[in-house]
Parts: sequence; structure tokens; C-alpha cells
Amino acid sequence: MAQTTLQPPPEASSARVLPSRAGRPRRRRNWFVYGLIAPAVAFMVLVHLIPTAGGVLLSFKRLNTFTFARLFDAPWSGLENYRGILFDTANPLHSGFFGAVQNTAFYTFWTVFGTLAGGLAIALLLNRPMRGQRLVRTLMLAPWIVPSFVVAVLWQFMWQSDVGIINKVLVDYTHILSDRPIWLLGENSMWAIIIPSVWRGLPFAMIFFLAGLQAMPPELHEAAAIDGAGPFRRFRYITLPLLRPLIAVQLLFCVIYATYQFAIPYIMLGTNPGPDADLMMTLIVRQSFSNNLFGFGAAASVLLTLAMCVWVAVWYRAFKRDLEVK
Amino acid sequence: MPKRLAIVTSAIALMLAPAALVACGSDDGDSAAKPKSNGQAAQGETLEKGVTLTLWTMPNSPKPKEDLQKMVEPFTAKTGVKVDVQEVGWDVQFDRIRNAAVAGEGPDITQAGTTQVPFFAALGGFTDLTDRVEEIGGKGAYAEGIWNTTQVQGQDGTWAIPWFTEARSLYYRKDVLEKAGVDPATAFKDLESFKATLQAIKDKVPDIKPFGAPGKKAYDLVHQVMPFVWDQGGAELDEGATKSTINSAESQAGVQFMADLIPAGLFDKSQLERDGTQVENQFKGGRLAVWIGGPWVLGSIDRPEDDTWSDEARANVGVAPMPTGPSGKAYTFVGGSDLMVFKSSKHPAEAWALVKFLSEDQTQVDYAKLLGMFPARLDPQQQVGDSSENHKAFFEAIQTGRTYAPIPQWGQIENAYKTRFGNILDSAAGVGSDYNAATVKSQLDAAAKEADGLLAQSAG
Repeated sequence: MAQTTLQPPPEASSARVLPSRAGRPRRRRNWFVYGLIAPAVAFMVLVHLIPTAGGVLLSFKRLNTFTFARLFDAPWSGLENYRGILFDTANPLHSGFFGAVQNTAFYTFWTVFGTLAGGLAIALLLNRPMRGQRLVRTLMLAPWIVPSFVVAVLWQFMWQSDVGIINKVLVDYTHILSDRPIWLLGENSMWAIIIPSVWRGLPFAMIFFLAGLQAMPPELHEAAAIDGAGPFRRFRYITLPLLRPLIAVQLLFCVIYATYQFAIPYIMLGTNPGPDADLMMTLIVRQSFSNNLFGFGAAASVLLTLAMCVWVAVWYRAFKRDLEVK
Repeated sequence: MPKRLAIVTSAIALMLAPAALVACGSDDGDSAAKPKSNGQAAQGETLEKGVTLTLWTMPNSPKPKEDLQKMVEPFTAKTGVKVDVQEVGWDVQFDRIRNAAVAGEGPDITQAGTTQVPFFAALGGFTDLTDRVEEIGGKGAYAEGIWNTTQVQGQDGTWAIPWFTEARSLYYRKDVLEKAGVDPATAFKDLESFKATLQAIKDKVPDIKPFGAPGKKAYDLVHQVMPFVWDQGGAELDEGATKSTINSAESQAGVQFMADLIPAGLFDKSQLERDGTQVENQFKGGRLAVWIGGPWVLGSIDRPEDDTWSDEARANVGVAPMPTGPSGKAYTFVGGSDLMVFKSSKHPAEAWALVKFLSEDQTQVDYAKLLGMFPARLDPQQQVGDSSENHKAFFEAIQTGRTYAPIPQWGQIENAYKTRFGNILDSAAGVGSDYNAATVKSQLDAAAKEADGLLAQSAG
């Protein structure tokens, strides 16, 4: 398959191969670059790496109600927090943790699948010439500009079993259902947070894919059509492979974003979403900030971060070729 | 390659977010280890004019900052001590007070929820007021349950002064009871009549739901359930607060009494999706006939700007004490807010003078009326209780009200109970595990196990 990704212009390529005499200017140029990125690096160290190191340190401490005031001087507990979470079946936090892991995996899978598949489908539709295309595209972006907080509040009202619009449509107007389901409790509550999350994420995925579709040379589709390839084959063998780098990037960020989702479940279901919808982030925030079990919260956060490291490694192996500029 | 690097770098930055999260929760621990103590100012110490005290208050009234600022104007006029009232939202007050106490940098005085006081006291950042309390009449000036909220079980010290009080009572619609043919005087006398009243409403007034309470989203779910547990002779913890008793047969009977109302169609299960304020608005909006609430709702009846009231509901509010249980007593939860003085205050004498001012009978009456709450002190409490029949019901509730063991871990235990009570109510509503006695028992066993683990926490 021919790569149609950006080709660097010849003069740019030659500029990179400067004669060795240019060593000193290059070093000087490097210092200039380092100077430019230094504030960003310093900021990252300050607000990201130092708190992260602090979080890792706290995960080895017995930090609870009675030791909270000592914070980093709290008693050292070694791997006790990790043992409690992972292996101590007598510890209620153990079952809560594994329940949250399962829920998070379920939530992430369906949110990412829904967002990417839906985003791609809408992008394909909007890529076709049609009247009012710009207006539709603008309207489709609306959920993206709505803050997560507002999305959660809106959907919370829509899901309410007695007065919510969803049950009104399903039960009162269309009679699809005879009983009014309770959406914000029990097993339904997981879908009650997945659907708004997909709704919120769709526009970004859609605009991303639409940009990719519009950059695609139409000749490829035309040639394939002349050769007798139908729409499905053209999608399978031309569109999808060419969108692969975009899908890869979207997949990476959507998985991380969904795994760390907090605002929507927290606002819709509170700090206690219950066993059916307790996600890792609601669990960590609840146990750390409501229950003062900062040692537990820190250990669970480190485990979650490690899981994401594994995900990034897997993702990198799977897609590294797609990210190379050829 | 740079493109690849940029993506991976961004991904790593995102990945590290939760690990950083818990480390961001608090301020410098070193300063906590060495709180700046000013010691206790001697009695009769002259107040320094011109100093400014900072007072943290929560959204207690429609205009929390302005209302309280106005309330303390006479104090400033009399003493020359200025007060900077700062409003802290309920959603963040726990974190902010905790962090201020640990860091040794905060206001001079803060309002704190009564069940939070033991935890804050355990942080070591607050002044022990034991030597001062006689100046405001000592513990005898307060109902026993209220005074207990200033203590930490098993420790000496008085860590707070009660400020205002609330208790839970039954709100009902007089017109609905009339349509249902139930006499309000006996409608909620005991648990049996309570149930019979709800049944009569269900049968005879079908356009309104008989009863509703919030589910696990509500901050006060435990306050709603525990009166039924106490009625049956159950308790949240044993007497020494060393072990959970929430899975005892008596406690189970209490929880089950409330949950059983759902399958019987007496408790509107859709209310479980809502938080406390939303359910309150359901009663005010005329969609619930009976509801358990605090005195602040009484205060809102006369406020025309509160448009959550339907005309019918506003005109027909009745209040009754909680029903009497088999033990012969009518228990309810009593809570409210206390005032705590930070050890780090640079003006302890002035801070205490302000606490004294806020504890004066007239200030208590004026402020409590503004909030729709009750004063914390007995004499002004009686005054407000005498103001109407509905207020009288609350006054009685406060006198027999109960609160939880004043231990630092209570907040955590309450969260554990809230989760399990919520699960039980969900299953009774048909959205969790099958609802039966075994489900209730297993949830309460899990709650007790979690509570015992929390009680076993130590500083070592």
C-alpha cells in the first residue's frame, strides 16, 4: 500500500544534513530550543512529576485518619497497601478494588468503541456532498463544547425514571416499554454513564476522522470503483487503512481519557455509584478524600498508572509503524 | 519520530494524572507537625481593637456571607474587632478545613458539621476550649446530644462550641391526610400507624406518592435510616465505639422496616435516584405526601422567592415527631453545626470573644430564625420551639435526638453504611440483588466488616 502521509520537501531533508563545520551553530541552536522548552519542562516537573513522586511515596505509607496530619512523615508500611488491595480477601477494599477494575474495563471498552465507531460513522456521512453540510457539521460539534459537568447534569435529568424525557419517550409516547426503568440505579447505571460519555466524545472523534477523510485523494476511490470495488470493499481496503494512524492516536487518548473519567459518573451518580458503576476514579477519590485512606488511594492510583503504562506499551507495539513519517 | 514522541509524551502525562492526584490533596506536612500554637488567652484579657478575624461559614442561609456579616456587626461595634466572613461551599469545606488544620494556616474560626468535629479535633489543629466553656454556661446550657458533638470519645477536651441545631422530623401534607381520612394527631404515633397512614394515602389519594427518601447519592441517607434502627433497639456501634453493631438483628429489623416500604408501594422508588435536596423539592413541589426533613424547610415556607413550593404544598405543611418504635421511644437524628477555633489563630482572645458573642441567646435566636434552624442553646431553643406547632415538633425532636459516637473515624464509617444502606434500598426497588432478609443481612455484614476495619485504624 502506497503511503500518502506527508512527505518532507527535499530542501527540508537536505537542511538536516549540514556539514560537520556547522556543529557549533547546531549546538547553539539546540540551546535555543532547550531554552524555549525549559519553562514547559519546569512546569511539568512542578505540577506533574513532583506530585506523582509524592503520590508514589504515599502509597508506601500508612496514611489514615490518625496519621493524616503527619502526611509524608506517616509510618512506613512498605507494600502493605498493595497487599491489602491485591491479595487480602478479608479486606473490604480488595473486593471494592476488583469490582471497580471490572467496571472501569467495561466502561472504557464501550465508551471507546461507541465514540470511535460512532465518530467514524458520522464522519463518513458528513463527508458525502449534501446540502447544509456545514450547518450539520457545526450542530454535530455542539456536545463537544458543552462542559462535562453540564453534560452530566443534563443527562441526569433525562434519565430520571419518573419525569425524565427518556422514559417519557420510551413509555408514554412510543409505548416501547410498559414499565418505567430506573436508569440511575443498579446495572442500568453503567449504561446511564456510558451513553453521555460517548455523546460527549463523539464530535471530537468525528471531526478528527472527517479531516482524515477529506485529506484522502479521491482518485484512489475512483480507481477502485472503476475496478469494480463496491462501497464496503472501498471502505475496508482504502478508507480504513488510510485512517489507521488517526484511529491509533484516537484509540490511545480515548482509552486513557475513559479510564480516568471522573466528572460524568461523579456528577450523575455521586461519590457512591454503587457496585454496578463504581469506577476506579470514583473509588480512588472516595477512599482518599472522603475516607482519608490516602495510602490506599495512592496505591490504587499507582496500580492504575501502571496498567496504563502497559496499555501504552501494547498500543505502541501495535501501531508504531503507523506513526512513522515516511 | 518527533510526532511519535509527542504522542507518547502526551500519553505519559495523561497517565500520571491519578498518581499525582492523591499527592495534591493536602498542604505541607511539616508545618502540620509543628502547629503554631498561641496557647490559651487568659480570661478577661483585653481585646485588641482593629484586628480582623476570619470566619469560615458554609451556605447556611440564602445569602450566607452577607447574612452572617450583618449578624456580627454589633460585635464589631462593641469590641472594635472586625470580622471577615468567608463562605466555603459544603462540597469543599471538609477538604479545606482539614488542610487548614494540618497546614496551620487558615482562618481564626470555622463552622464544622457536628459529626465532623471529632475528625478535625484528631488532626491537632484546633484549640481545646475546656477552660472557657463556663463563660458561656458550660455543658448544662445545651441538650446532652448536642453537647456530645463537641467531644472526642475517650479523650479529654472540648473542641467546639455548638452553634445551631437541627433534628429530623416527619413533614406531611395536612390536606392529603384529610383526604385519606387519617387523623394527624395519631397518624405517625408509632411505626404501625406510620405504615397504616402511608397505606391509606396510597389507597385513597392516588395522585400523590405516599412517602419518599433519597438513595445513596444523599449525604444524609444514614440520618434517614438510623432513626428506624434506633427505634428497633439497634445501634451503629457498641457502647465503647469499638465494634460495629449495624448487622445485629435489631439493626437489621430497623433497616428492613424502611426498605420494606418500597415493595409495598408506600415508598416511591424513583426518589432513590435523587439526592437530598432533590427529594426535598419533590415534597415542596407537591409530589410527596410524607417526607423526613429538617427545620430549614419550615423557614422556607414564608419565603415567597422560594418557588420550589407548589401553592397547595406551601399551604398545607404539617410536622410530626418521628414515630415511636417498639422500644417506646421516638428517636431521630440531631445534628447541626459547631464553631471551632484554630490553634493557628493569631488572635485567640478575640476569636473566643466572637464565639461567645455567637453563643449569646439573642444572637442565637436571630441567626437560627434566619436559617430556619434551631439555636444550639436550650433557652433560645425553647423560645423558637414555642413559636408555632410545627416548631414545637422539632423542639421535642431535638430533646430526644440522638447522634453518632464522637469518634474521628465516624465520617468514614458513615460512608460505609451509606453505601450498604443504598444497596439495600436499591435491591428493594428491584434494581440490585434480589430483595430478601438474606440480602439485607449480607449487606449489613459487609458494612459491619468495613466499619470494624476502620475502627481498627491507628496512628502506629
